[in-house]
Amino acid sequence: MYRKQVRRRRAIMALLIVAALVLLSTRFSESDGGPLHSMQRAVASVFGPLEEGATRALKPARDLINWFSETFQARGQNSDLEAEVQHLRNQLVRAKGAQGENRQLRKLLRLDRRGTLAGYTPVTARVIGRSPTVWYSTVTIDKGSGTDVKINDPVVDGDGLVGRITDVTHGTAEVTLITDNRSAVSARALPNGPEGVAEPEIGDSTNLLLDFIDRSEAIHEGQLVVTAGWSNGGISSAFPPGIPIGEVSDATVGEQETYQRVHLRPFADLRDLEFVQVATGGPKRPGVAQ
Amino acid sequence: MIITLRSAVRIALIVLASVVLQISFFSYLSFFGTTPDIMPLVVITLGLLGGALVGAVCGFAAGLVLDSALLQTLGVWSLVLLTVGYLAGRYREGTDISNSLVPPLLIGALTMAAAAGFAAIQLMLGVRTPVSLLVLREIVVQGLLATLLAIPLYPLIRRVLRPAIVDDFEARRARSPITRSASRAGRTRGRRMRRSVGVSRS
Repeated sequence: MYRKQVRRRRAIMALLIVAALVLLSTRFSESDGGPLHSMQRAVASVFGPLEEGATRALKPARDLINWFSETFQARGQNSDLEAEVQHLRNQLVRAKGAQGENRQLRKLLRLDRRGTLAGYTPVTARVIGRSPTVWYSTVTIDKGSGTDVKINDPVVDGDGLVGRITDVTHGTAEVTLITDNRSAVSARALPNGPEGVAEPEIGDSTNLLLDFIDRSEAIHEGQLVVTAGWSNGGISSAFPPGIPIGEVSDATVGEQETYQRVHLRPFADLRDLEFVQVATGGPKRPGVAQ
Repeated sequence: MIITLRSAVRIALIVLASVVLQISFFSYLSFFGTTPDIMPLVVITLGLLGGALVGAVCGFAAGLVLDSALLQTLGVWSLVLLTVGYLAGRYREGTDISNSLVPPLLIGALTMAAAAGFAAIQLMLGVRTPVSLLVLREIVVQGLLATLLAIPLYPLIRRVLRPAIVDDFEARRARSPITRSASRAGRTRGRRMRRSVGVSRS
């Protein structure tokens, strides 16, 4: 009797492991319109309203817990900040001189978002769910194909680039953030700095790496980095040029390296997104599927 | 655990509520730069209360729902959660949990194993970008957060499933004012039930 139960338990366990592996490999091999993708979208559509309701209802509790967490962190940062104030005072003197120059550059580069996303129809969406693991930096928003949101539409918030749409149901959409391991954004340092690819460093959501910057190129801390909107006629970046991504926080080059190791601090607070804007209906970008 | 329709519905509701809470509440919180993950915690708890089979099946189902709701690669969470659910259940079947500190510590350790397993699968599937050493901190902190969260959540889930748990059934009978013979009959019935659901006690 007991042996029979053990055999049954092992059989079920083996069946579940095989089922998980089959799901895993089928999900990778099938097209976007395949049965597993459709099933996932159906489940996501059912969960959409539940997530939205729970997100709204639990916001006060979330804010309260985050307030405690931030206060705790702030106490630890206090002593660091005192030392930083001294350092910043010295920098302020130099910054005054750069201020006038900066104003002129901003005018020149027209960084305002209306100019950058001209030709797009912005759709404001609420973030209703997010992945719990650092391996998938994705969020779910409450707008989908019903409001003309399409795959590969750029997503921004008030501070800068957030990511792009990677899956859509009728009422929800998945946004893959720029800190996800599948993300790579062609980027350009301002004012006339080099172009590279902004990609994440998994595990550190407050840091991006600007790769493929030649060691001879001049790039320094504090430089603004925007999307390059790269295109060669046949294929192109999913993002239009000029969307702010972040600023250079560190640039180092190793002895035997061809490229510099440039770190960026993203402008958008990707761990605390509440509302985002999806740029829909923009001009067709060659090679970008929609 | 005695699996009846009522207890199965309760377990399903616990799993679904956990997925919604994880996506809409816990994923927004940040402690020491890490997001708490209650899904391994819930599955391990179900494994500890219901045994290996319950833990594995709940882990598979919870992973499937989580991956589907977040439109992520299907099967990764299922594989990780069914493994930790099964391991928790096997521990429960081989060992009597007498110390109340054991479940939170076990949940913390297995959550760490789940986070490490998830990372290993992702690396095997291929990651194109650099991986920061902060991933290790993420794994450790997730284990610690799971230990802390298990202190209130383990008794809560146990309370919700209490009518189906064999040990609690016996304890309730032992507390009731019954005769010695009736008590003996109850123990016999308890043994029969344990044998019928495949739960052994050392």
